[in-house]
Amino acid sequence: MTTMFFQSGASPVHRLNPTTKLVMALAVTTTAFAIPVVWAPLVLLLVVLVPAVLVAGVQRPYARLLLLFSAPVVLVIFLLQGLFFPEGTTVLAEFGPATVTSEGLLFAAQTSLRLVVMLGSFLFLLLTTHPGVLMSAMVERGMSPNTSYVISATLQIVPAFRARAQNVLRAQQARGLDTTGLRRRVRALLPLVGPLLLGSLADLEERAVAMEARAFGSTTRRTSLVAVADSSAQRWARLLMGAAAVTAIVVNVLGVVR
Amino acid sequence: MIEFENVSYAYPTTAEDALGPVSFAIPAGQVCGVVGASGSGKSTLASAVAGMIPHVSGGRLSGEVRVGGRPVATTPLADLVTEVGLVVQNPFNQMSGAKFTVREELAFGLENLGVDRAEMVRRIEQVLEDLRIEHLADRSPFALSGGQQQLVAIGSVLVMRPRVVVLDEPTSQLDPASATLVFGALDALRRNGITIVLVEHRIEQLAELADRVLVLSHGSLVLDGSPHDVFTDELLPDLGVSSTRYTRAARRAAERGLWPESLPLPVLLPEAVRGFGAGLSVEHTP
Repeated sequence: MTTMFFQSGASPVHRLNPTTKLVMALAVTTTAFAIPVVWAPLVLLLVVLVPAVLVAGVQRPYARLLLLFSAPVVLVIFLLQGLFFPEGTTVLAEFGPATVTSEGLLFAAQTSLRLVVMLGSFLFLLLTTHPGVLMSAMVERGMSPNTSYVISATLQIVPAFRARAQNVLRAQQARGLDTTGLRRRVRALLPLVGPLLLGSLADLEERAVAMEARAFGSTTRRTSLVAVADSSAQRWARLLMGAAAVTAIVVNVLGVVR
Repeated sequence: MIEFENVSYAYPTTAEDALGPVSFAIPAGQVCGVVGASGSGKSTLASAVAGMIPHVSGGRLSGEVRVGGRPVATTPLADLVTEVGLVVQNPFNQMSGAKFTVREELAFGLENLGVDRAEMVRRIEQVLEDLRIEHLADRSPFALSGGQQQLVAIGSVLVMRPRVVVLDEPTSQLDPASATLVFGALDALRRNGITIVLVEHRIEQLAELADRVLVLSHGSLVLDGSPHDVFTDELLPDLGVSSTRYTRAARRAAERGLWPESLPLPVLLPEAVRGFGAGLSVEHTP
């Protein structure tokens, strides 16, 4: 079963408590940004994320999605920082007003790697964690059920909303709306947005009634169908990862590594 | 089980009453159909039984609605939802939107009520079995057909074990095959002794299922009786409700002397077969 990004599986990584994976994503990201060594994020990617992804067996979707999300960002960073880095002094090449400097390239590489590690960390979490289990774990950790509802509903409603938009678009096309070419597509937005929003607003009241009828307004302490397993080993691992992230921040603040 | 005593209701944005004054009582275990033209007050009545009026919709409610002896207006909604379940018209809107499988969707109401996990699992498995939707348990609620989604919507209410289930046009967006699935599920509820209030346009299937039918017109209760009495009433077309095709055919036949005078007009197929059979044998007698 695939829900948004989640790839089902029975690997040890899939069985981990979502909080452990969330702490790992946060710790790896924090460390990547805190350690001021250019290639530190790459080391984190190769030593932490890649083995974890391989153990989870999600390497194909991981590589595809990471490339899809990070390539445009990396390209823009290299174009801007590589060619127009204001503090660059070691000129490697010049193209009119643009100057390629080694400092600019290093800065672009570091920023790109940090962003790739951040994207990769959270992609790893999303690919190996069922959203329902993630939300249950978050509620167990004290997240408000209402916040959890909003996040989960957003994840679920987006595809449903997209399907409704397609239906409205098809209905408009059947009535002669031309959507070929960029300009016509932009012009077609107005007749699309109107029925889409009005239809959604009309549904809103019925949905609110249905949710109340299902005790959403209850003030009782909520329970959860989904059992989220945890272990003392994972609790220790979370503690260590948290400590590692804090250490990285301290190292950065004190300027221990340059 | 359900009592309406001089109940009138106006929505917050309108001066005119959408319902009432109406008074009636529905005993426990009865299947009560509600029909009427658009704007006749059917959905308002359904909302009032379920307590959404006045708890969610606001507006002006006078008179008293009681369910299981408890006045709906002063009973907290969280207590009421375990007594009365409401299934809305569009099954898509009944889905929480926050759950990723049918099993989790069924658990939504129970989680809100703080039911413990073992009890939740028991109830969910029971409802999956009762509605014969075990095969859908691990699928996304949004990847189901309309009929399947409506069964999940009904299940999401049944899992809370209400004694009354109110359904507001549950088959209006379904194809005939899906509607049959839903009526099959409702028949099972009836056999389990659940009181059902069913707002429905599919007259023939309603006539088959209901013990009693209420007809509303402009917010007033104008007919109240057995499906046979109501659906053969000559007033029906003036109220914007059609009779069944069997009644219409027999009425036309009766105008031409082809329906036996000794037989009442039919509502359902077996009565029609019997009557037309008798009519034809009279016609062909030398």
